[in-house]
Amino acid sequence: MSGDRIRGAFAGLAVGDAVGWPAGRHRSALHAPWSRRLHRELDAFAEEHRVTTLPVPFALNQPVAPLRIGPSDDAEWLAWTALTIDRPRAEAFGELTDVRARISVATALDNLAKGIEPPASGHDNPHHFDDAAAVRAVAYGAAGRDPTEDAQVTNALDGVLGARAMAAAVAEAVASGQVGRAVEAALAVLPPETAIGHNARAALSAARAAGDPFAAVPALDAEVLDHVYSYAVGAAQTVPVALALAEAAGGELARAVPAAACLAPVADSAPALTGAIAGACGGYAAIPQGWLASARTLAGCCLPELAGRDLIEIADTLTKGIA
Amino acid sequence: MRDRARGCLLGLAAGDALGAPAENLTPAEIRRRWGRLTEIEGGGTDDTEYAIFAASLLVRYGHALTSRDVAEAYRREVVPRAEVPMRGAGFSERGTVEALRRGLEPPLTGLAHQHGWSDGLAMRAAPYGIFCPGDPVEAARLVEQDGLVSASGEGIAGGRAVAAAVAAAMAGAGPRDVVQAALSVIPADSWTARNVLRACESLDRNGTDAVEALHEAVVVRHYPWTDLAPEAVALALAAFLAGDGDVEASVTFGVSLGRDADTIGAIAGAVAGAARGEAGVPARWAGAIGPVTGTCLPVVAGRHVLDTADELAEGL
Repeated sequence: MSGDRIRGAFAGLAVGDAVGWPAGRHRSALHAPWSRRLHRELDAFAEEHRVTTLPVPFALNQPVAPLRIGPSDDAEWLAWTALTIDRPRAEAFGELTDVRARISVATALDNLAKGIEPPASGHDNPHHFDDAAAVRAVAYGAAGRDPTEDAQVTNALDGVLGARAMAAAVAEAVASGQVGRAVEAALAVLPPETAIGHNARAALSAARAAGDPFAAVPALDAEVLDHVYSYAVGAAQTVPVALALAEAAGGELARAVPAAACLAPVADSAPALTGAIAGACGGYAAIPQGWLASARTLAGCCLPELAGRDLIEIADTLTKGIA
Repeated sequence: MRDRARGCLLGLAAGDALGAPAENLTPAEIRRRWGRLTEIEGGGTDDTEYAIFAASLLVRYGHALTSRDVAEAYRREVVPRAEVPMRGAGFSERGTVEALRRGLEPPLTGLAHQHGWSDGLAMRAAPYGIFCPGDPVEAARLVEQDGLVSASGEGIAGGRAVAAAVAAAMAGAGPRDVVQAALSVIPADSWTARNVLRACESLDRNGTDAVEALHEAVVVRHYPWTDLAPEAVALALAAFLAGDGDVEASVTFGVSLGRDADTIGAIAGAVAGAARGEAGVPARWAGAIGPVTGTCLPVVAGRHVLDTADELAEGL
């Protein structure tokens, strides 16, 4: 059964990754740079001419396949983590070249190249608070391992706490299938006096009061998001949203993930993290077939060598390692 | 003390105004446009206005200042006037306003937004150093009360370092001892401390012409925002050392670095101005500093840094 739930965690993350509107933006990295330049020019055109018809990623003179619904950055980084999980972390990161990644990871790679080792590589880092490590921690949780050493390469403080919380929630969901216990496990590693700990408790209260994931969307927007900062991947926002929506949905992926995608400011990674927790609770068998077909094949938009790889096969290597 | 206080805040305002047009430019672009940027072209920015606001808190509360007093002052004097557009506010101030509106209290107000490491506290830390001449530890303790409202982690460390540097300079410490005072009040295991050491080493190795080497030592490459305290504080203290404590030499070197050039200039100018006094600030710069407009912080509109310096010095 735990193998089914591990597959569920991976597939759930990929479905959530694919659901969020930024996935199309990330996947358009597979197209020629000029197509994204045109996109930026069309954005400027819309601004100048006050037309509300906003451009979306398109495939002019390009194959359309990359822009079909599918997973993007988070599923690829999860797969990379599962494939390298037995390697010393700084060494595995140090070998990465030609990748696209969050600011925390890009800065950490720069730090490692300068000889700045973990934990300073993740701490002396303007995006130490982002959820890059929280996404990777899904692999650690599924394998029942501590994500801290991995997290500290790229993140610090709330960024590392987000990773611990995700690993704890996924590990408990894989073990018991119960979302309430998964949320408790996450809260146990989130001190209330931190931003992520405060936000997690506030988000859970807001979602409980709303009683339903979709109904909770405006309350979560008011409680957790301040709409001030320019990047939507803060662990102190995305992890609390994921915990609150997974719980409000009773661990049902098909109710939790669409609600997370409604929170546009955190739709890059909150749906993916929500999907990982809910997917682990319900297991692989509970994920809609149509979504599985769309979400399991990696695009290679961040880690080119993973293009075409099957995420579920990669999840199974983790399961065999445990068995 | 009054002379050093006036030198400090004049230096801050001059560095802020001199650096403003160089903000976010590369050192190469600054050289292309100005050669060396030495003449003030326009007014100052948020650095000067927030420093005047911080000084007003010190005049009101003195050494008894607490983070609750600061939060209350924000609620009374900043939040009600922070309607759109809130010009000249960084993410940290804007995030703090939203956190206060949501009913949070310090230190959560400084933790709840992502820019805890902002140089917003370091840019306004000088008055705390003026208020505690020769006592870097007390200056750092006091500025932290302000910082707990809007900053966290490295942002507070940056503020502590600058307040301590000014406190040491107010008592006549030499340039190296001023930097030591800054390092003495922050954890050795901090990004700010590591960056200050990296910048000093780079300066020792490459000399004062090595602007690019300083960038290589402490500037974050993959980040579009430049208001990082560990970076701005390290570059400003390096500028102060490169100028050997002279106001004009320190500030012009500081703004030649680009990045958050107005804040780098303001910090370098405040520390050097405290060390050299009012006469140390070039007369042509002092003449260009008038009352602030309140563009960034309406509550301080019409105030002049020299009046603020006199008020602070009265309590010493």
